[in-house]
Amino acid sequence: MYLVVIALLAAYPGFYHLLTQSGLSSETVALLPRMETMVAVLYFALFAMSFDFISGYTGYLSFGHAAFYGTGAYTVLLIANGKVPLLGAETPFVAALLVGAVLATLLAVGIGLVSFRLTGVYFAMITLGFAQVLYVFVRDWDYVSTNPRDGIALSGGRGFELGVPFVDQLTVKLGTLTGDTLTLLGHTLGTTTVSFYAVGLVVLLCYLAMQRIVHSPFGRVMIAIRENEERAEAIGYDTFRYKLGAFAISGFFGGVGGGLLAGFKRSVTPETGFYFLTSGDALLASIIGGFGTLAGPLWGHLFDESVREFLSKQGQGGGLLPYLESTLSEGFLATELYGGLTVEGFITAALNGHASLYVGIVFVLFVLYVPDGLVGTVRDRLGGPVADRLPERLWGDR
Amino acid sequence: MTTVLDAAMALLLQTGFVDGLIEFVQPDVLVEVVVRGLAKSAIYIMIAAGLTLIFGLLGVLNFAHGALTMIGAYLGGVVMVLTVGSGTGPWARLALFFVAMAVVFGLLAALGGSIEIALIRPLYDRAPIYQILLTFGVTLILEELVRIVVQFYGLQPIAEWQEALGTIPVFLDTSHSLGPISVRGLALFEILLGVLTVAAIWGFLTHTRYGLFIRAGSEDSEMAEALGIDVRRVFTVVFALGAGIAGIAGTLLMWDQVWGASVPLAADALLPAFVVVIIGGLGTFRGTVVGGLIVGLVDATTTWWFQNVVVTWTWLPEVAIFLILVVALIVRPQGIYGVEEVGGH
Repeated sequence: MYLVVIALLAAYPGFYHLLTQSGLSSETVALLPRMETMVAVLYFALFAMSFDFISGYTGYLSFGHAAFYGTGAYTVLLIANGKVPLLGAETPFVAALLVGAVLATLLAVGIGLVSFRLTGVYFAMITLGFAQVLYVFVRDWDYVSTNPRDGIALSGGRGFELGVPFVDQLTVKLGTLTGDTLTLLGHTLGTTTVSFYAVGLVVLLCYLAMQRIVHSPFGRVMIAIRENEERAEAIGYDTFRYKLGAFAISGFFGGVGGGLLAGFKRSVTPETGFYFLTSGDALLASIIGGFGTLAGPLWGHLFDESVREFLSKQGQGGGLLPYLESTLSEGFLATELYGGLTVEGFITAALNGHASLYVGIVFVLFVLYVPDGLVGTVRDRLGGPVADRLPERLWGDR
Repeated sequence: MTTVLDAAMALLLQTGFVDGLIEFVQPDVLVEVVVRGLAKSAIYIMIAAGLTLIFGLLGVLNFAHGALTMIGAYLGGVVMVLTVGSGTGPWARLALFFVAMAVVFGLLAALGGSIEIALIRPLYDRAPIYQILLTFGVTLILEELVRIVVQFYGLQPIAEWQEALGTIPVFLDTSHSLGPISVRGLALFEILLGVLTVAAIWGFLTHTRYGLFIRAGSEDSEMAEALGIDVRRVFTVVFALGAGIAGIAGTLLMWDQVWGASVPLAADALLPAFVVVIIGGLGTFRGTVVGGLIVGLVDATTTWWFQNVVVTWTWLPEVAIFLILVVALIVRPQGIYGVEEVGGH
């Protein structure tokens, strides 16, 4: 079943490509997320998963989780710009990614040592406090770049290479502008598509690792902490250590997610890295997808991004607005609604750049009516994890 | 050991720390910093008061509080800009300000009440996290709606609303000399308004029948219900009150150049409000007042130090309040007046 999901995701670029070439191209561009968005969905979903790993499974809302994401991204870019002692600018991307993730882990241990003395709202707030301190600090730290408020960008027109260091055949360049194209069976895959697969592979590995941990005895203790911490303690588990361990693991994968962001975008700002609304986005993804389900954040973020892109114009991308503008007739667009406001003016005002309005509405509806999220609800209906139940439903219990 | 001390001393002298300290304890400097700190405290307390009332009774950490404050700032600005002309005298402006405050209080209380009835009421029997999540979603919606409206009227959503800033009376805008120090009129007005707000809320909570209901409900809402209090209605009233107080704070912020009416005001107001409420202890009004005083005074002090001594650390004042949060939670995890169980699991 996992393979089916992976295959579906893996087939997306081809599917998207075919549709854009076909007669339905304008509808496709309007409805489906672009390839750039899909890459962003992948690495952000990894971050959201790491958020869900700690928040959904142990019940400790890590509201400063963006700190780990930012640490990963900043470390990768600082190393690549030669700003980190001992590690030159030529350090392979994978090594930098690991260094960033390890730093994020250490940060998580540091924050966790202090914060896990608290519970509930207080825990959420102290982690938020730490992340905001880092956010303001990074925003004004002029060592990272000449204008720290704009974050850092990779100097020069270089791109990052993801793969096995020093083995050319197993390495691809990332990025829309700097990436590699691949020719496979007579088809040329675009730079973004190649990045999609490369990033997707890393995200998949991380997902499998987290999945393994969640289903291990360690993971059961995490759930025990969520359900009844006092009882877990009474049984004899040193819950503090388990929480700290889970937080460190979560920090590690959050750092990997941030590193991938840096690898694909080649730049990061304090707002995309450390700001508390970045943690908020991970929260949105987890709730929409299903809190306490590891795959949930991926679906949640995919859903979230699709809504955003469909209902608001972003860059040259698709969405409803350009589609309506090209399909509706001139006369209808110029019709006056009320006090000089034309239909065109209205849809432009409503559909241009106001994504968070619709995301907010979707989110509120989810909290009210679908509290278990997409994955959680499907599991409820099927009576167990989708991977176990769906084949049984389809082919009978074998 | 002595060498270490010497080195530390030399470092402190070099950074101008000692000179700064000597200057800082001069009476006029100290008083000026304290007055500024009190003005900031008044603002922080006013922003946080509604948040703490709502948490104390409903147990809901209201993420939409910052957005409500921001809406209050804009609505207050609308009233002021529409009524104040260039010929309006300073006292008339002040009177209009109080009218604006009353209008904003009413409107936001209505908004808050309807949010509670329509959205939060169905969630009371769920885990507390869902109420937090819901208000987070409400924030996104409110902020974006305001952004659409503000842009529709051709204003910059990110920048402060200058027209609203311009409606401030002259005597609040200029500096006055009080003995050895000079203070901006607005700072004194903020302190006055802060004291009035605190007194009004405190009086309401302790000297009215409804305040008694609220305190009873905060203590034990099931027991209060058993004694015949319509707790659901009290919940709605408190949420409306909290939203209204947020609006009053917003109206005041509209006049302050440091804040001003703008869409990012929502996040700028929300985060300090959280800090104040957490430091003081969730749900205790007394804790919020003390927390606000601490945060305001520390904020004013670090700002002074940054402006006069350690000029290189530009991030110091912005970080300060979050550092207070972290330190306070390490030293006293449940807040100054907090009870251990509240807000935990």
